[in-house]
Amino acid sequence: MRRPARPAAREILQAGDDSLVDLVDNLLNRGVMISGELVLGLAGVDLIYLRLQAMLCAADRVTRRPEP
Amino acid sequence: MSGVYLYALLGAPPTCEAGVGVCAERLRAVVVGGVVALVGDVAEVPAPSAVTLRAQDGVLRRLATVVDAVLPVRFGTLMADDAALSAALAPRTADLARALGRVSGCEQMTLRVWGEVTAAAPALPLEGGPGTRYLAGRRAAHERGRRVPELEPARRRLGDLVREERAERHDRPPLLATVQHLVPRGSSARYIDAIDTARDGLRPWRVSVTGPWPAYAFAEEAA
Repeated sequence: MRRPARPAAREILQAGDDSLVDLVDNLLNRGVMISGELVLGLAGVDLIYLRLQAMLCAADRVTRRPEP
Repeated sequence: MSGVYLYALLGAPPTCEAGVGVCAERLRAVVVGGVVALVGDVAEVPAPSAVTLRAQDGVLRRLATVVDAVLPVRFGTLMADDAALSAALAPRTADLARALGRVSGCEQMTLRVWGEVTAAAPALPLEGGPGTRYLAGRRAAHERGRRVPELEPARRRLGDLVREERAERHDRPPLLATVQHLVPRGSSARYIDAIDTARDGLRPWRVSVTGPWPAYAFAEEAA
């Protein structure tokens, strides 16, 4: 099911910039996870549909985490 | 919520002033065991946007010019204070130190593999009972999720330039897979040359390259 992208996601989707898509993938989808006291700044940010000719989906990992 | 915003884990303190972070805050180092955490004191977690993501990436790139081993931390990681940060890191400093050793002196190149069809999967064995064949199929499917046979001609060209590889299949044509390679710092031009040389041999698949990046994809297993 697709949901409309919110402003932050829309800004990124409309940039049409391959390296920006990689940047999103790297920063939001990878990197060391320090769990426990972690407070995510991503709650409510719908960075689900990143279009680079195809959908590059980080949503499963972003939305799985509890909201602060 | 104010707190200590975590950018990266380092193998050693920066040899010069670390500069400022995403919120223009002064960056400082917190030493926990043999691991150095680079942090900034912020009023709240920066909202993700093209500007803040680029700014955080910029901090990491700047660090990589003065520190050999940099493990990026996921965007949005805020700890209550230095004590909470130390408590979170202390139990895993040995794993983190090993991860820092792996990425020391290296950077990441990212390949995306494009095409309309995937490489043929290897044939499954026909012998054994239905249970054996089922399990063999499950194992093959699991292994296939981390394998990108479409890239074999490129791997031969890259040779020992690649220290480690992370692969993730998407299999949603035209995007088939994303592959990250850990390569020695300063070798991105050689890497791109090797990929360009391999392009003819990769057909019908196409690849796009971005990088060099800090070693984002090689930090995950340290968690």
